[in-house]
Amino acid sequence: MTDLPQELQPDPALKQRVVSALVAAGLVKRRRPWRAWGVAAAAAVVLLTVGVSVFRPRHMLAPGNTYVLLLHEDSAWVPPPPGHNRERRAELARWADSLDEVGKFVRAGQLIGPGSAIDGLFMIRAADDSDAVRIAATCPFRKHGGRVELKRYVE
Amino acid sequence: MTDDLALVQRFLRTRGEDAFEALYEAHTPALYALALRLTGGDQGEAEDLVQESWVRAVRALSSYRAQSALRSWLCGVLVNVRRTRMRSDWRTVDAPNVEPAAESVDPDESLDLERAIGALPEGARDVYVLHDVYGYTHREIAEMLSIVEGTSKSQLTRARALIRRSLR
Repeated sequence: MTDLPQELQPDPALKQRVVSALVAAGLVKRRRPWRAWGVAAAAAVVLLTVGVSVFRPRHMLAPGNTYVLLLHEDSAWVPPPPGHNRERRAELARWADSLDEVGKFVRAGQLIGPGSAIDGLFMIRAADDSDAVRIAATCPFRKHGGRVELKRYVE
Repeated sequence: MTDDLALVQRFLRTRGEDAFEALYEAHTPALYALALRLTGGDQGEAEDLVQESWVRAVRALSSYRAQSALRSWLCGVLVNVRRTRMRSDWRTVDAPNVEPAAESVDPDESLDLERAIGALPEGARDVYVLHDVYGYTHREIAEMLSIVEGTSKSQLTRARALIRRSLR
């Protein structure tokens, strides 16, 4: 036998592709987004509008505009080491809780479907565009090389 | 109970993303390495193969009985997925990407060997990779590729001769 390596690491993005394909085929159940929200999860309402799972906020929403933060796993994204997914989710949950305390958290979820390069999304309230940019800059997803795209949401 | 069997049973109980990720992380590096070699270093095709293989494997996972190692079973699924794709009319036939596949332990010698493997005719390459890189027996290869053992042996002889020639 040759001594060529029998294992090679693929692009980390492949895992999300595979999971999305399995979810789309009904073979794997998608984990609930950031389920570390204990109390919030208990009262969670899952709305199936355009395939986005959402959780209701626990506090009155602050005045201002609603914004959407789209979380992208681009090439700079550093995925959690095996077994550390829970820490990452807890980190995001703490951040969302801190927004919720001041009425700036609206909901969170994931976009389900094959080929999506967006790992998740948050809807937040912010006084204005500058405030939204400031909040987006604090999102812990960015610490790990993730890119946060900010859009104002208009109904 | 083996670790693999425990992972499989956990997944079959929950069908959850976390349980699947444990399986994925344990076996995808081996599947990807095999796919990369079977496709002659075409990373895109190798990733597609791995993805389709996982879908096929998860569909059939309840029939896995641990009579063979899970990794061997998964590699068999991948080999069959590739053969199905090669037979499909819709498969694109663009010129393959022949860039070096990935880093290896010994960059010079291993890269030459990887290139030589990538340049083999497909039938010979399949047998060479499965036998000389992964250690499958001719009997196992014959089952995986739906050929007779004699064909596997002759393809291996041919592959080795071509590799020796290209490494000179």
